[in-house]
Amino acid sequence: MTGKLKTLALASLASTIMATASFTASAQETIKVGVLHSLSGTMAISETTLKDAMLMLIEEQNKKGGLLGMQLEAVVVDPASDWPLFAEKARELIEGEGVASVFGAWTSVSRKSVLPVFEELNSLLFYPVQYEGEESQRNVFYTGAAPNQQAIPAVDYLMENESVERWVLAGTDYVYPRTTNKILEAYLQSKGVAAEDIMINYTPFGHSDWQTIVADISAFGSAGKKTAVVSTINGDANVPFYKELGNQGIKAEDIPVVAFSVGEEELAGLDTTPLVGHLAAWNYFQSADTEENAEFIEKWKAFIGDENRVTNDPMEAHYIGFNMWVKAVEKAGTTDADAVIDAIIGVSVPNLTGGFSAMMPNHHITKPVLIGEIQEDGQFETVWETSGLVVGDAWSDYLPDSKDLISDWRAPMSCGNFNTATGQCGGKGVN
Amino acid sequence: MIFTHFLKKGLTWPITLTILVILASAFAVPFLNLYLDTAHPLHIPNHLVGLYGKYLTYALLALALDLVWGYCGILSLGHGAFFALGGYAMGMYLMRQIGPRGVYGDPILPDFMVFLNWQELPWFWYGFDNFWFAALMIVLVPGALAFVFGWFAFRSRVTGVYLSIITQAMTYALLLAFFRNDMGFGGNNGLTDFKDILGYDIQASATRAGLFSASAIALALGVLITAAITSSQFGKLMIAVRDAESRTRFLGYRPEMVKLFAFVVSAIMAGIAGALYVPQVGIINPGEFAPANSIEVVVWTAVGGRGTIIGPIIGALVVNAGKSWFTGAFPEYWLFALGGLFILVTLLLPKGIVGTVRDGWAKLRPAKQPPAQDDQNKTTASKSGSQPQAAE
Amino acid sequence: MYRNSILALLTVWCLSLFAPVANAQEPDLQAIIQKLATSKNFNQTKAVVAELAATGDASVAGVLNALSEGAVYFRKSDRQVFVVPGRGNTLELFDPLTGEAAGEAGKRELTKVRVNNSLRRSIRDAIGGLTLASEDPTVRLNAANTLAANPDVDALPAIEAALEKETDEAVAMRLRQAQAAATLISDRTLEEKTTAVTVMTSLGNREALAFLTRFEAQAEGELKTLAASGITKIEKSLKLWGMGQNIWYGVSLGSVLLLAAIGLAITFGVMGVINMAHGEMVMLGAYTTYLVQEIIRNAMPELMDWSLLIALPLAFMVSALVGLVLERGVIRFLYGRPLETLLATWGVSLILQQAVRTLFGPSNQEVSNPSWMSGAFEVGLITITWNRLYILIFALCVFAILLWAFNKTSLGLQMRAVTQNRRMASAMGIRTPWVDALTFMLGSGIAGIAGVALSQIDNVSPNLGQSYIIDSFMVVVFGGVGNLWGTLVGALSLGVFNKFLEPYAGAVLAKILVLVFIILFIQKKPRGLFALKGRAIET
Repeated sequence: MTGKLKTLALASLASTIMATASFTASAQETIKVGVLHSLSGTMAISETTLKDAMLMLIEEQNKKGGLLGMQLEAVVVDPASDWPLFAEKARELIEGEGVASVFGAWTSVSRKSVLPVFEELNSLLFYPVQYEGEESQRNVFYTGAAPNQQAIPAVDYLMENESVERWVLAGTDYVYPRTTNKILEAYLQSKGVAAEDIMINYTPFGHSDWQTIVADISAFGSAGKKTAVVSTINGDANVPFYKELGNQGIKAEDIPVVAFSVGEEELAGLDTTPLVGHLAAWNYFQSADTEENAEFIEKWKAFIGDENRVTNDPMEAHYIGFNMWVKAVEKAGTTDADAVIDAIIGVSVPNLTGGFSAMMPNHHITKPVLIGEIQEDGQFETVWETSGLVVGDAWSDYLPDSKDLISDWRAPMSCGNFNTATGQCGGKGVN
Repeated sequence: MIFTHFLKKGLTWPITLTILVILASAFAVPFLNLYLDTAHPLHIPNHLVGLYGKYLTYALLALALDLVWGYCGILSLGHGAFFALGGYAMGMYLMRQIGPRGVYGDPILPDFMVFLNWQELPWFWYGFDNFWFAALMIVLVPGALAFVFGWFAFRSRVTGVYLSIITQAMTYALLLAFFRNDMGFGGNNGLTDFKDILGYDIQASATRAGLFSASAIALALGVLITAAITSSQFGKLMIAVRDAESRTRFLGYRPEMVKLFAFVVSAIMAGIAGALYVPQVGIINPGEFAPANSIEVVVWTAVGGRGTIIGPIIGALVVNAGKSWFTGAFPEYWLFALGGLFILVTLLLPKGIVGTVRDGWAKLRPAKQPPAQDDQNKTTASKSGSQPQAAE
Repeated sequence: MYRNSILALLTVWCLSLFAPVANAQEPDLQAIIQKLATSKNFNQTKAVVAELAATGDASVAGVLNALSEGAVYFRKSDRQVFVVPGRGNTLELFDPLTGEAAGEAGKRELTKVRVNNSLRRSIRDAIGGLTLASEDPTVRLNAANTLAANPDVDALPAIEAALEKETDEAVAMRLRQAQAAATLISDRTLEEKTTAVTVMTSLGNREALAFLTRFEAQAEGELKTLAASGITKIEKSLKLWGMGQNIWYGVSLGSVLLLAAIGLAITFGVMGVINMAHGEMVMLGAYTTYLVQEIIRNAMPELMDWSLLIALPLAFMVSALVGLVLERGVIRFLYGRPLETLLATWGVSLILQQAVRTLFGPSNQEVSNPSWMSGAFEVGLITITWNRLYILIFALCVFAILLWAFNKTSLGLQMRAVTQNRRMASAMGIRTPWVDALTFMLGSGIAGIAGVALSQIDNVSPNLGQSYIIDSFMVVVFGGVGNLWGTLVGALSLGVFNKFLEPYAGAVLAKILVLVFIILFIQKKPRGLFALKGRAIET
C-alpha cells in the first residue's frame, strides 16, 4: 500500500528529472538574462520594483534590436526573501537556465549567499544596492554605492554646511550599518571629533517602538553642540522612526537626520510633512533635472502603468549596470563571462544625473554623490553634490584591517584583496 | 532490548521498503549525477542534487517533529531552533576550515570578525576546527537545549497550547539573539562562503553527491530509530501519554520522563538535519530560527500524515517540491497555495496523505491485515478519537 | 495641512499689517526681497535673510516664514518674487509684503527659491528676534525657545525688555532661561551671574544642564562651586524625571500590546481557538483606515481630522466580517482541537497577507496622523506625544467596554458560561455555536479597531500583523487565558519591564530577556498570571 505510494513518488521524481534534463538541451536563440529579486516575503517591498525595472530595460533593449543580433529574454525567479533560496535560485538560473548574466540581490546577506555560486559557476552578477564595501569579487559588479560614495560625503556635508559637532550613528543591527558606522566613527575621529561626541545605537529589524531611542537622541542633542543623526536604519523600521521624530518635535533645523537607506520608495509610505529638511545621501534622486532622467521616468511610468510610481537610486544602478553589460558584450562580441569581465572594465555609460559612470578595475563604478532634503511631496531636493565623480572604494581606508588592501581585476594583478604592504594577493594576513 | 524487539516486530515491510528506497537513492542520485553524460536524459544536473539533498534534510526534520508531535502529542513550534543550532555548529566548523582563504586572509578569525575589529576568537568558537568536536556539538547543543527546556516545561506540566507557544517564544528569542552581531555568530549575514568539508572542496560535484548520500543515509537511520522507538514498549507509552496523559500518570508512569526522552531524541535528529542542510545550501543565518519556518515544518508533517513514519517524509518532499515549482512558475501565488494547503489538510485530511490512503486501503480490504499494520492503524484511529476527549 | 498653515500664516500676517508700519521703508524692503530672485546659492540667500532681519521690520516675518516653508517663488520672465502657498499646475501668486493676491501663473513659469536646513535655521532665528513682541503667545513662545537654545549676548536687553512685559508664564519661563543663558556668557557682574546660575539650577532641564556644564568648565572660584552643585542637583532631578519618562514609555508600549492582544484574549480565552490570523485582522483594520483616508483625501479633505473616528466602526465591521467567515468556514469544524485551529488559521493568515499584497502592493501605505494626534506636550520634564496618549486612552476605553460587555450583558454572561464549562453551558440551553460565532466576531472586530490605532505609529504594510502576533500571544499567555484583567496587567507590566531593561540592555536584548522571562514564568505558573479556575481549558 504505502509501497505503491512510494513508487508513485519515485515516478514523479523521475519525471521531474527528465523534465529538467530536457530543457537544458533546448536551442539557444535568445540571450537569457536572470533577474534574482524577492517577489514575496519581507524584501518584496523593495525588490519587486527592481524586477520591474529590469523587465523594462530588457524590453527597451529588445526594441533597439536586442544584443548581438539576438533577442534578450528575462528569466525571473522568486527567492522569497529566503537567503539560502537565493543561492539555490542563482544556481538554477546559471546551471538550469543558462543565463548570460544575473541582475539581482538587495540585502548583504543575499549577496553573500550567492557569491560562492557565481564564483563556482563563473557567471556575472550585477548588484545594484548601496552596501558596506569590504568586498571585491571577480564575478560581481557593484553598481550601488560603496561607503565612500555615500556615507563619507554626507558627513562632510553636515560638518561643513551645518557645522555639526556631535553625531548619533543609529542603525539596524546588521552588517551594512555596522561597517558603515565603523568607517564613520574612524573617519570622524580622524577629523577630531571626540569619542564622547559620538553615540552609536543599534536596533533590530522592523523595530517599531522608538520612544526611548528618539528621546535619547533628543537628550544627546541638547548638550549645546550642533547634533546630527546618521541613520542606517533599514526599510520597515524607518516609518515608525520618522513618525516618532515628528511627534517628539525633533525638527530638521535642530537635529537633522541623514539617511542612507531611505529613498523615494520608502517615503511613499509616509506623510512627509513633519520630515521636511531631513536629508538623504544617494547617487540619484528622481528630482534630478536631466533629459535622460525625464525620459527614464516617463518610460517607467508608462511601463508600470501608474502615474504615481517613483524611481529610486537602485533602479538607476540597474540602468547603469545593464547598459554597461550590454556595451561590454558588444565590445567582447560574446556573452562569455571571462570575455565580458575583461571587456567591461573601463566601459563608460551615461547615468541619469547628467554624467557618465565608468566601471573601474575594482568592479565598482564612478558616481556623483548627491545630498537631498526631503520635500513635502515625498521627493528630494538636491542641496549639495560632489563637483566630480567619486570612484567606489572596495576597501575602506579608515578601517585598520583594510586600509592596505586594494582590488584590481585586470591582468596581471587580477586580485580582489591585494595587500600593498606585503605585496601579496590574499588579504591582510596575520594580525 | 528495544532493538532486538524492533528487529522481531517493528521492522514491518513498509518501513523496510522505505529504508531501502532511501538507501537506493543514496547511491542512484550520485551515480546519475556523476557518471552519466550531461546530455543523457537521466542525468541529474548539479543544482538538482543540492536541491534533493536539501529536501532530504527537511524530511529528517519533519520526521523528528513527528516523533514528538505525532507519537507523543507535543506540538513543538520551535523545532526550527534545533535545526538551526545544528546548522550553526556545522557552520562554525566550516568557517574554521576556511583558514587563511578568507578575504582578509586572517588564519584564525572568520571574515565577519575581522570586519568588526574583533581581536581574538571568542571562547565558544574554540574546538570547532576539529570535525569530531563540531560533530559532538551538533548532537550536544540541540540535545542539551531540548533537555533543559523540556526538563522545566514537562515537570511544570506545561502542556498543549501553552507548550506550543513557549517553544515558539524560545525560537523567537534565539532568532533575536542570533541577529545580534555582538553574539559572535555573524549577525544577520550568518555564516557563509564555506570552502571545504573534511578536506574536500565543498563546491565540487563529488562532494555535493557525497553530502546527498550522507543526508539519505541519515534519513534512513532516522527512520530506523523512529521505527525502533515507536514500535517498542516505550513507544506504546509515548502514545499513551499522547492520548491520555493523566491516566498514564495515574497508572504509575512518569509522563514527563517519556516526553523528555522523545523531545531530546527529536531535537538531536533535528540538529543533525540542520548540520547536513548547511553545507548543501552554503549558508546558515538567523532566518532559520524564524517562527514561521517551524510552523511550516508542522505543515509538512500534517500533510504527509502525523503519527506515521513515512508520512512526514512524503509531506516534506511534496510540499517542498511544490514550493520550488511554485516560486519558479507563479511566484505570486505560492503563499495562496501554501495557505490553502494548511486549511485543506486540517479540515479534510486530518490524518494526512498517508493516514488517509491507509484508511481507505483498510476499508477496501478489511479482512487481510498483517498484525503490525493493524497495530499502526489502531494508533491513528485512537488518535483521532482521542482529540475531542482532550478538549474536556 | 500644509496649505492651511500657510493660509493661517497669511492671515496672521495680514492682520499684523494693520499695525503701523513706516511707509517710507516699503520700497526698500521690496528691493531687498527681490534679491531672493537673483541669489545664486544658499549663502547669498542667507545674506538676504540677514539683511531683511536687520531692518527690524515685523512685516517681513510673513515672507520669511513662507521662505522657510519653501513657498517663495520668482517668475522666470521678470524675476519678480511672490509667495505661492498652493500646489498644482496653476498657482495663485501673492505679493510678498502686502499679502495681496497678485494673479496666477503656470508651474513652469516659476522657479522656487531653494532653502536648506541652515537657511531655515537662520530664518527662524531672524523671526525669533522679530516676533518677540508678537500678540500671539505661541509665536512669542517660539521666539523665546529660539533665544533660550541659542543665547545671544546682544539680545540680552531685548530679552529683558520683553520679560518685563510678559504675562504668559510659559513664555516668561523660557525668557528667563534665555536671559540666564545669555548672562552667563556675557561680561556682567558676579552677582548677576550668581542669580543666573540659580535660575538655571531651578529650571533644571537638559538645556540648562548643558549650559551650566559649559559654564562650569571655564568659571572660577565661588561661581564654579555654585555651578557644580547646580549640576549635581539637576542631574539628580533629571534621573528621577527619567524614571517617570521610562514608566510612561512602558505604559505606552503596554497599551499598544494591550490593543493588539485583547482581541486574542477573547478568541483564545473563551473559545480556545489559537487564531494565528489575529495579526492579519489587525492589518485589515489598518488597511481600512488607509482606504478611508484615501477616500477622504480625494473627496472631502475637510473631514481628514475625523478620518480615524470614521474608520473605527468600518474597521470593526471589516475585521468582524472576515472573522465571521473564518469561524463559519473553517474554525467551527475544528472546535476542541486547538492545535489544529493553529494550523488552519496560520494558513488563513498567509492567504490574507498575500491577498492584501496582491491588492495593494507590497509597499507601505501612507496613513497620516490627524492634526490632533500630532506633536507632543510636556509634563514637567516628561515628553508625552499626543498619539501615544490617545492610544493609551483608547486602549483603556476598549478594555472598559469589553469588561462591561462581559460582566453586564447577557451575551457576556453566556460567553463566560461557555468559557467555564462548555458542556454544562450547552446543557443549560446556551447555543454554544452561536456564542462562539459572536465571540469570534467580537475578537476579530476588536483586532480591527486595534489596527486603526496601530496605523498611527507603525507601517501599514502586508507584514503589519506578523510583527504583533507573537507579542500578542506572549501577553495573553503571560496574563492568563480567559481573563481580561490578566491581559491588561500582562500587557502593561511587559511594556514597563521592557522599557526599563532597554536603557541598560539595548532594545534587542531587552526583548530577548522579556521572552526568556515569560518562558520561565510559564514554568512557574503554567496558567499565567491570573489563572482561570475550572476544567475548561485543559487541552
